[in-house]
Amino acid sequence: MAARRLGGSSWQQVVSLSRRCCVPGGRRERYRCSSSSTALGKTVDSSEVTPEEIVLPRKKTWDKLAVLQTLASTVKRDPTAAHYMFYDDPYLMPRNAATSRLFALSKESGRNAAKYIFTNFPQYFDKTFAEPNVPCLMPEDLTPQIEGLSEEALKERIHLRRVKDSVNLFDQLVQAGTPVSLETTNSLLDLLCFYGDAESAPEKEEEGKEDLEEAGVNASEQAAPKRQFQKGSFSPRWRDNNNAERIFKTMPERNAHSYCTMIRGMVKHGVSAKAYDMYIDLLNERHKADVHTFNALITAVPYLKEKFVERWELAKVFLNHMVEQQVQPNLLTFNALLKTLRRCGGIGRSMALLVFKEMEALGIEPSLATYDHLLSIFYRAVSPTDLGSSGIISEVLGDIEKRSFTPQDPDDANFFVNAMQVCCDLKDIKLAYQLNKVMEKGDNWKFLAVDRLNGYWSKFFSLLCMMEQIDVVLKWYKAMPPSLFYPTPKNIMDLLQALDAANHLEEIPSVWEDVKQLGFNRRQELLEELLSLMSREQHPEEIQLAFAKCAEDIKAAHEQTGREQIPLEWTGSALGSVVLLFSRAGRTQDAWNLMELFQQINRIPTDQVMDEFLNCAKRTSSPDEAIKLVKLAASLGLPSVQRLKNRTQEEFELSEQQKQTLESVKSDGDSSDSDSD
Amino acid sequence: MAAPMAARGLRALSRSVPDGTRTLHTTPSCLKTRAARVRVGKGDKAVTYEQAHPPHYIAHRKGWLSLHTGNLCGEGGAAERTLEDAFLRRFLGGTFPGSVLDSLVLKRRGNLVVLCAVLSRALPPHKIYFLGGYAETLLSHFYKCPVRLELQTLPARLPYKYL
Repeated sequence: MAARRLGGSSWQQVVSLSRRCCVPGGRRERYRCSSSSTALGKTVDSSEVTPEEIVLPRKKTWDKLAVLQTLASTVKRDPTAAHYMFYDDPYLMPRNAATSRLFALSKESGRNAAKYIFTNFPQYFDKTFAEPNVPCLMPEDLTPQIEGLSEEALKERIHLRRVKDSVNLFDQLVQAGTPVSLETTNSLLDLLCFYGDAESAPEKEEEGKEDLEEAGVNASEQAAPKRQFQKGSFSPRWRDNNNAERIFKTMPERNAHSYCTMIRGMVKHGVSAKAYDMYIDLLNERHKADVHTFNALITAVPYLKEKFVERWELAKVFLNHMVEQQVQPNLLTFNALLKTLRRCGGIGRSMALLVFKEMEALGIEPSLATYDHLLSIFYRAVSPTDLGSSGIISEVLGDIEKRSFTPQDPDDANFFVNAMQVCCDLKDIKLAYQLNKVMEKGDNWKFLAVDRLNGYWSKFFSLLCMMEQIDVVLKWYKAMPPSLFYPTPKNIMDLLQALDAANHLEEIPSVWEDVKQLGFNRRQELLEELLSLMSREQHPEEIQLAFAKCAEDIKAAHEQTGREQIPLEWTGSALGSVVLLFSRAGRTQDAWNLMELFQQINRIPTDQVMDEFLNCAKRTSSPDEAIKLVKLAASLGLPSVQRLKNRTQEEFELSEQQKQTLESVKSDGDSSDSDSD
Repeated sequence: MAAPMAARGLRALSRSVPDGTRTLHTTPSCLKTRAARVRVGKGDKAVTYEQAHPPHYIAHRKGWLSLHTGNLCGEGGAAERTLEDAFLRRFLGGTFPGSVLDSLVLKRRGNLVVLCAVLSRALPPHKIYFLGGYAETLLSHFYKCPVRLELQTLPARLPYKYL
């Protein structure tokens, strides 16, 4: 009662709610009331001291997505499921890295096909019946509205990113004598330098034809960019005297912005020498460049000079100019500087840390790209002697651990893969665990794109196999595929070596099942490794049987000829191992069938194989097989024929006829396979 | 055939009396309901669970194929939903030609439309992914709401019994 009188409206609601929902349970209701009154105990006391002073808690404002994010944080990764983008069905789930990439790409190309229909037939999609309207699902009208020769029309075309149309319109305006303002010309230059004189979006069919009909001049320009696209580089090359340069030269007045745009465009499209000349022109005109231009120039330094010292000197020249022109450097400046230092060899190593300290002194937060460049400077794969500075990576990881990063530089995406590579080179598993923790913190997982995930985790797994105990390795092996990554053949080899080192060879049949599922069962080196591991030593009975079953699968893999598959060739060691395994499991007939293959492939079985086969024949007491073996050995001309003959005579109970056949087998390998037995 | 003729005869007899005609009632067995029922045959026709149960089993042994709130009291838009359902069924039937094994189940949650389809394994998986991505994006743009496709594949249509 006291609670109700004193409290604010929120407390009243709490109490009344508790009454409403606990009507049958009187005791509960009383408990609730008492708990609220004890919670209010403080306010009761304080209100008795000062009746006006009621401290209501500050209202919390939650993010719109807070509930969903909390729910999402309670769900852990399901280790048996593939990535969320795949359908959850055994036929549609990808089994290895190649199929997962194929399915992801086919889904994306399906989406592109739908977008193509959507953009080419907007008349079927433009009814607005959704309340409220969803603008991202409505077709966009990308045709320019304003016709005629005017500056507004030019501005609109620039805004819609139509490169060719804007150039045409500009030329027409200039020829008609209408003055075009400096800003519009500058924005036209921006457009041209960004796209490098190629068209921004692939042209529609009918528009392409129209352009060809309109002006014959355009035909050559249309052909050339397409040719350059196919040259293989992803940004088209800058041609001499293309539209941008032409317009630049004919401009009546130019300001700093025009020069800067031209410099940045030239650096982007690969003609750094011209960019440098343009920069000299800019200095001669006593203009000031902005920070983006300087960033572009610094990235172009490795293409301008060859020797390391000269590169560093040129970079310093640019930096001094920046100071003179009072341009503040930003994060991208330092990243560009470090990227240049990557290609400066030894000087890079000595200067990089100074650059980093400078960055911190200026108060610029480093991004992942910064750390990536630092790691590449200090951990070139070429010089293992320089690994004395391995403290760098632990410092880097210590710095990164505390922060969650946002993408600020396109090179950020390379950080995790390179860092994991460095950990593998250093063979340090603790660093790798630390790196994993960094990746799981906050938003950092977003920096690993789907196609790089596999590389990252497979390197981690190789490191695990090398460095960790077998049970840890097996635990990770059960947990990681297929949700995190798909093992590569190298991973399977590493796993087999780890199993071998830990003497856990009984896991091999399950590994073989995984290999079959991953589709690696036709890889020669993997099969050889498996067979040699299985056949090296004698194992207890049931393991031997399991091994024999694997051997049978491998034999089937060698023999089957798919429609387009080249049949696998048997090698001598592989065949010998399979025979060994069959013999040890007591499958004499299978072993004999394979022994006959030796002659076909022109290989010689080792002594161990022959002995094992004899043992098997003895166990199953089939002296015929033994005799056949001796004959085969004789026909192959093996030096051990005599020994085998003696052994057969001693260990087997032979009938008279068999003894005679055995005697007739000559040890110098004359024709004895003409016997009909 | 005898009954209607007898009825006509009786009607002729009782034409003098204006009302109180005693006509014969046709028996219910002639008016069998035929809606959504598969008639018993020789025993070689495989029917799925969906087909084997006539409509009076809905809410007892069957669920609904299309779930939306348009038919609740005070809610509108039932006709539009039905039209959308018809279009979506035809669209998916055409996009995955010959592969849709059973009727689609459509679930609407708020703005989202979830299409649950059972496909056969006739197409290779990457083609199914292509068509699935295409269908989702195109339908989203067409209906201005998110459309999600949840697929399941079976080797063949699953028979419940043979009629």
